[in-house]
Amino acid sequence: MKKVIVIGSGIAGLACSATCAKKGMQVLLLSPAPSERSQSVMASGGINAVLPGGEPGDNVESHIEDTLRGGRYLSGKRAVTGLCQSAGQILQDLERIGTVFSVDAAGAPKRRAFGGQSHKRTFYCGASTGKQIVTALIMEARKYESRGLIERRLWCHFYKALLREGVCYGAMIFDEKKKQLETVTADALVIATGGQNSLFGKTTGSNMCDGYAVGRLFMQGVALKNLEFIQYHPTTIETAQKKMLISEAVRGEGGRLFYETNGRRVYFMEEKYGPRGNLMTRDVISREIFLAPGPVYLDISFLGKKAIDEKLPEVKEVCAKYRGIDICREPIPVVPSVHFFMGGIAVHNNHETDMKGLFAVGECASMYHGANRLGGNSLLAAIHSGRTAANAIADEAAERVMREEDFSSELAGEQARLEMSMASKSPFPVMYIRDMLAETMQRSLGIIRDEAGISAGLEDVDYYLSVANRISYDGSVSAYHNFSLTGILTLAKAALLSAKARKESRGAHCRSDYPEEDENYACATIVSYDGGSYTVSFDKEHAYES
Amino acid sequence: MKVRILRQKSADSEPYWESFSYDGPMEQSVAGLLDYLNFHDDIRTADGEKTDRILWECSCMQGVCGACAMVINGRPALACETFLKDLKGKEITIRPLQKFPVVRDLVVDRSSIQENLKKTNLYIDEYQPSEKESHAQQYLAAKCLKCGLCLEVCPNYVNGNTFYGAVFVNDCFLVSARNREQRGEIRKAYRQHFESDCSKALSCMDVCPMKIPILSFLTMR
Repeated sequence: MKKVIVIGSGIAGLACSATCAKKGMQVLLLSPAPSERSQSVMASGGINAVLPGGEPGDNVESHIEDTLRGGRYLSGKRAVTGLCQSAGQILQDLERIGTVFSVDAAGAPKRRAFGGQSHKRTFYCGASTGKQIVTALIMEARKYESRGLIERRLWCHFYKALLREGVCYGAMIFDEKKKQLETVTADALVIATGGQNSLFGKTTGSNMCDGYAVGRLFMQGVALKNLEFIQYHPTTIETAQKKMLISEAVRGEGGRLFYETNGRRVYFMEEKYGPRGNLMTRDVISREIFLAPGPVYLDISFLGKKAIDEKLPEVKEVCAKYRGIDICREPIPVVPSVHFFMGGIAVHNNHETDMKGLFAVGECASMYHGANRLGGNSLLAAIHSGRTAANAIADEAAERVMREEDFSSELAGEQARLEMSMASKSPFPVMYIRDMLAETMQRSLGIIRDEAGISAGLEDVDYYLSVANRISYDGSVSAYHNFSLTGILTLAKAALLSAKARKESRGAHCRSDYPEEDENYACATIVSYDGGSYTVSFDKEHAYES
Repeated sequence: MKVRILRQKSADSEPYWESFSYDGPMEQSVAGLLDYLNFHDDIRTADGEKTDRILWECSCMQGVCGACAMVINGRPALACETFLKDLKGKEITIRPLQKFPVVRDLVVDRSSIQENLKKTNLYIDEYQPSEKESHAQQYLAAKCLKCGLCLEVCPNYVNGNTFYGAVFVNDCFLVSARNREQRGEIRKAYRQHFESDCSKALSCMDVCPMKIPILSFLTMR
């Protein structure tokens, strides 16, 4: 029986685990916390699919074209075609396993409009679509847990992959309760650890998604892709503790963006882009809000309390609870904020990396969204990528001939290093460096960037790296926060180098010094690492689209 | 403002109280307060002594993940949606949930919640609803955070016992509503792990952050 290790138990990890188990494989599902804590529960707006009964003229080809165009033609057409073609089946499967979709009087799931899409094709569950899907997938995984096909372990952090000569044999993990490293081996290792939020401090997402696994794999020789493409969601609301997402569903239901001048509302998106201006893609709207002459608001009050209570209850609650704003009566003050990472681990169409047996799925992998992701495509991609990896692992002709690879000396070495570090004291608090990194990244990789700002960011990160390499153990925070620091900083440097190399503006990567899209850059950015040196290249041969 | 926190260095060490001073904005939530105390170069007690950063579980910071459940001024609540301005008195006390084993400081091990659901085979399998669907209730039930607040406040719940509490009833309802064929099995589990020991205090409904109407699920005999 093939054995698979899945790291991360959000939607991508759950979808991958359940599919592996369904195909008779044995899954070890590792995460620091249960799936209810994953960022997936925060996805609100919906999931895209073309199904019978949709708007006249809609078809899978339109979904493919919308996705490619929204991503400024940077994603591979074959991968996007696979994504969109699988969407109908995914929706049906989500219904079959009991997801509570919003339905019409006849019991059929309802659709709403979303940004950058030619037709209304976003299915939803109120404004808590991610949470409802997570609940259904947890139950699906539980079915296989009870059959002994999925074993879950909590309190586990990824430490590093077990790699030898381009082949992955499993992972070294850190057990937070035992405070120990251990090795787990399998035929395949699937990374499903989500986005790189901690590079930017507090984002709309979970602060458990920190990008460490991606950074550490990069340091182990795994190539990363398109790191400069960071999605700023146009509509978030400032609260005392963070900027919280105001779902695109608000604009999908007719919400209008405006700023005020001389007491008059200027509906700037509609004025510039026509009646569908509020449903332009996120990169475009974020830039327009950033450039607006004053504070921007999003108005949905005209929809009325009844419709708001029915369609957007969670949005109403967040605004009331954290800002005392009643969206049925007043507009929502909005600002853009870091929300999603189009870039991540470079994978081939089957979601395998360049390392045999090492896969990446969900937001930590870069595949479908190109230079800008469409709303409603991330939940879809999380499930599709998890399934694609599971199918690829199942299709491998036979179980890997597990050569008697012995990782015990590597484990002993890492454990000794960690213990030595834990016994030392440091004058540099880890959290302080993470805060400084967030400030640097927000300054250097904002909505609009330029060479000087990116170079200044690189200088900062080089300094943090030099401190991190000299740092002793900061006993005032958890062991994980200590050992993850260098991986996170290394990933930040890779992102800055990628942004510096792409001398054009495309999608979410907007350079004031290179404001135009340039055909010479119509391919993915690849960054690789070898013993401390970073190499950025452009995938003109489309090597990762096979 | 004085903040007293019950701390514990590890699972098997003794808990102890530590006091801190907070002079930040009162619009902040308790989660924001913990961040405020933690995110300085050093963390110091009210007496100016350097101490360890306060460990607490946190993921979404907006009331949808259930990580930050703790006991605030004697009441079980999510830290990220309990606001300082709403708390009475000049002192805040914060302690970890008491019904679960402490891992460190305010972090507790709530894995028994998932274990109990697994032991009783609570999964939907195939969607086969009854003809008359309670869609709105199912939507709410599926929003359960598995945060453990309902168990913390329940006078009958003891970790490791056979009474599984409101979180269990929630999933019983959801599974039986979504798959009518599972109902027989679920009724059995419901009788064994809930019905006989629930004293209908219903304090679970008062503390549920998702406002799930557990009472309406209790009619599934």
